[in-house]
Parts: sequence; structure tokens; C-alpha cells
Amino acid sequence: MLSFLFFSISRAWQGFWRNAAMSLAATATMTLMLLLLAGFWIIQAGFLASLSYVEDKVGVVADLNDGITTGELQNLETRLSALPEVKSVEYTSKEQALANYRAQRAAQDQDDLTQYLANNPLPASLDVKLQRPEDYKAVAEFLQLEPKVAKVQNIQDTTDRLVSITTFLRTFGVVLLAVIGAIVLFIVINTIRLAVLGRAEEIEVMRLVGASDAFIRWPFVFEGALVGLFGAAVTLGVLVGAADPLSHFMVGFFQILPISVGSISRDVTMLVVGAGTGLGVAGAWVSVRTYLIR
Amino acid sequence: MLPLITGGSLSAILTSVLRPPEARPDSRVETGYPAGLSAANGYGVVDTRRPVLVLNDVTKTYPNGRDALKDVDLVVPEGDFVFLVGASGAGKSTLMKLLIRDELPTRGTVTLDGDDVARLPRRKVPMVRRKIGIVFQDFKLLPRKSVRENIAFALEVTGTPRRKIRPAVDRALALVGLTRQAEQYPNQLSGGEQQRTAIARALVHDPRIVIADEPTGNLDPLISWEILQLLLRINELGVTVLMATHDADIVTALRKRVVALEEGRIIRDEVGGGYHRAG
Repeated sequence: MLSFLFFSISRAWQGFWRNAAMSLAATATMTLMLLLLAGFWIIQAGFLASLSYVEDKVGVVADLNDGITTGELQNLETRLSALPEVKSVEYTSKEQALANYRAQRAAQDQDDLTQYLANNPLPASLDVKLQRPEDYKAVAEFLQLEPKVAKVQNIQDTTDRLVSITTFLRTFGVVLLAVIGAIVLFIVINTIRLAVLGRAEEIEVMRLVGASDAFIRWPFVFEGALVGLFGAAVTLGVLVGAADPLSHFMVGFFQILPISVGSISRDVTMLVVGAGTGLGVAGAWVSVRTYLIR
Repeated sequence: MLPLITGGSLSAILTSVLRPPEARPDSRVETGYPAGLSAANGYGVVDTRRPVLVLNDVTKTYPNGRDALKDVDLVVPEGDFVFLVGASGAGKSTLMKLLIRDELPTRGTVTLDGDDVARLPRRKVPMVRRKIGIVFQDFKLLPRKSVRENIAFALEVTGTPRRKIRPAVDRALALVGLTRQAEQYPNQLSGGEQQRTAIARALVHDPRIVIADEPTGNLDPLISWEILQLLLRINELGVTVLMATHDADIVTALRKRVVALEEGRIIRDEVGGGYHRAG
């Protein structure tokens, strides 16, 4: 078994370099396809992060009655947090609300009209962040039934529209990635098929001298994996080279978005290596199958 | 140990090739052989030698409806030398494909060294192919491998342990007289040397049968005789040889068993026959 593995891998290595022109052409195609795939993956990741960022802005804001006690407030916060739809609850006191309002007016260079008022007109409020914007209605209804809640700001329409747009964009992104994936799959498999076709004579001789299917198949499968790994290595090299100038350009973008460059580069590395090897192996597997014992 | 032709006149070659037929150990005794087989072995009498290849009522119809072979009965005893003659399209190639199980018979059975090739499980097909050495008109050598590597290839891809490959390749090289050319590449060789390389590759795992599909088709007459002599020597070593050919001179001169195909049927099967029907 071990000697078979050794045989297959050394034959794959030999086959790759003895047919260098064809192998390198296949590797180049593989590299371009992996770059395309990785590029779209990165765009998709940024896109999804943008959508999450927008969706995170959706929350239920409930104004509270002025007379609410600390106990009632804590009780309400506890019950809210226990809801599965709720991600977080943030309390803004009357004083904080006023301070926020004043800071906002000052930032806009406008007069602070509240200084003419005898007392603070702004209510205390609870800002409830949601797990998903679709949950808006359930949480809003829950809050409306609370006796200490004065008013729930209604942004139902806006939320509905936002949800329909983000759902559409998400689906579109997935479909686009799937189409790109299919294109990459067919082009890579066809390229490898051509490379195998160029070796039809060698395969025929193997068949005629009585090589078993495994001895015919596995060297080609390993060679396909080799094409995939080389392609992946070049692709990652290009991506690393491009990452620095690109991140300078996009640094602002990435700072806003709730996205970690670390997790993206880990995902992309796994995608490129996995897709490269997988496509190489699959391409070789289906291409050689034509020549095996019927 | 190397009586191969490396020079000399054509007549010398011919006398060395045309040895009298008693060199062949044909022992034909009446035994309890099945009647159906004895009729088909071309000798007209019952043969005690073990049949290494039996075609029993074989018909091969291709998917396009053409009958490539029709009702073919053929028994080839071990150690036989058979010429397969017939025009292009007469069914020679189909017959050879059936033997190596590249095609399956539509009807009838093909038995090779006791195995019904059609009933063979997939994973055993390679084992049967290793009992056969195949030689082609166009040699089918791999251009990027040296003579030695081409021959060793047949052993490598059948999982032969490395330490056994080198001695076996050396033996095959010596048998075909290519020891000195071992490290050359096919395009550095003459046509005859290329065909000898192909024969060495066919022989390297000690097959029971050598099938040669027009092995002299691309070679000039002198070189053709050289290849023929090599095949005859291999036959003397006990290997059954089945050679398809168009070369009337060779067939007529050697007076071996001749099986003639026409439109998929065996129309003649005689020992010591010429290329054309006698009389």
C-alpha cells in the first residue's frame, strides 16, 4: 500500500514535469480561476458584512414613563433580555438623553433650545438591539403591552423594506458566487481533461500491459492535486502581494464594518487550497475514468 | 546467445528463418478431446496440447449494427504460431480486441488460458491482460522515455517490485538484442529497433501469448524478416504467437498455420498454408 502510494506520487511528479508545458498551462488556468473565486469570495464577505452593519442599526426604541422605578426598570430589562429575539438592551436615562440631544445640537452648530425649558422634556428610553431585523414586530408588540412603556417608536415600514432589500442582495450574492463556482468548476475540469487527453497514448499502453485501474487512476489524481496545490500557492502569493496596497485603500471600509481581516484571510486560504486541490482531483478523476476498464 | 541478424545477406536470413517444420514439436494423437474443438483447431486432427485460446461460436455486433465477427470458432493450442490474414475490415482487429477484453463478444465465449474473459470480474481483467503481450504496427512507444524506461514501464504500472524490474528488463533487452541501445530514446532508433523495443515490452512480464497486430506493416522487407525471426524465436521459447498481417511473402514463406478472415467469418484455417488459398 505504501509502495503503491510512493509509486503514484513519484509518477505524478514525473508526469507533471515531463509534460511541463501542458502542466504549467493547466496550473495557470487553475491560478486564474482560483483568483476569480477568491476575489468574489472576498467581495462577498465584505458585502455580507456591510449588510449586517446596516441591519444592526435596526432596533426597537421604547420611551419610558417618567415615574418608572429602578426596580421596575430592572425587571423590564431582565424580561427583555430573556427574549430570544433580543441581542442587547441599553438604557438611556432622561439626563443622558438630554446630554445626547445637546451634544447633537452643538455638533450641528445650532442653538440649544432646551436651556429655555424649566425641566427636561426628554423621556428615558430603552434601546433594544435585535438578533435579526425581522424580529422587529414581535419585540415592538411585547414592549407596547408594558404599562411603564409610554411609546414605541414605529419604524415597521422602514424595517420591512430594509429586510426585503437585504434578503434580495444576500440571495443575489449567493447565486452569483454559485455561478462563478460553476464556471470555475467547468473550466478547470476541462483544462485537466485536455491535459489527460494529451497523455492518452500513455494511458492506453498502461491499459494494454495490464495495469489495474488503481495504477492508472491514482498517479493522474495526484497529478491533478499537484496542479491544484501549485495553483493555490501562486494564487495565495498574488493575494498576499495585493493585500497590502488593497488594505491601505480600504482601511476605512474595514474599520467601520464588523469584519475581521484575520478570519477572512483564514477562510480565503482554506477556500483556495481546498478548491484547488478538490478541483484538480475531481478533474483528473472524471477525465481518467473514460479510459478505465469498461 | 544472440543469433539475431545484425547484417548478412537476405538469403542467409531466409535460410535461418525457414527452418524445416520438424523443429516444431507437433504431437498429434487421437485423444478424448471434444469433437467441436478438434474441428476448429486448423490441424484437422485432435491435438493434445493445451488450448491457450478458444473462441467458441463468437459473434460481435457493434452498436451501429455491423457484424464484425460472425460465428467464429478458433482453438489455438499452447505454443502455436498462427497467422491471421484478411483484408482490412475483415475482423482481425475486433478479434484481437476480444482477446484482451477491450470489447466483449455479443454472443459466444472467448476463453483465454482457461478464463472466460466475458465473465471475468473487472478487477481481474488486468491479470488476464498480463498473460498477453501486444505488439502494434505503430509500436506505441512513449517518446519521452528511454528504451529501458519504456520496457520497465510495463512492469512498473503492474505493481512489480523495483528489485525485480531491472533484471527482467535486462533479460528482455538481451532477448531482442537492444542491450546497447537501452539508454536511447525512441526517436533515436530505427523502425526495426523501435519494434524490437515494443516486443521487449510485450515480453517483459513473461506472457503466455504474444499478439502482434501487423508488426511489420511499417517496416521494409529486410527489417520485417528480422522482426519475424524474433517472433519465431519467442515462439520457440514456448510462447504462443498470434500475428495479424498483410505481408503475403512472409506468410507464404513460413508455412505456419494460417487463419483467414473475410467479412467476419473464418473462411480458411490450415497448417502450412500460404497467404492465398492454395490452388
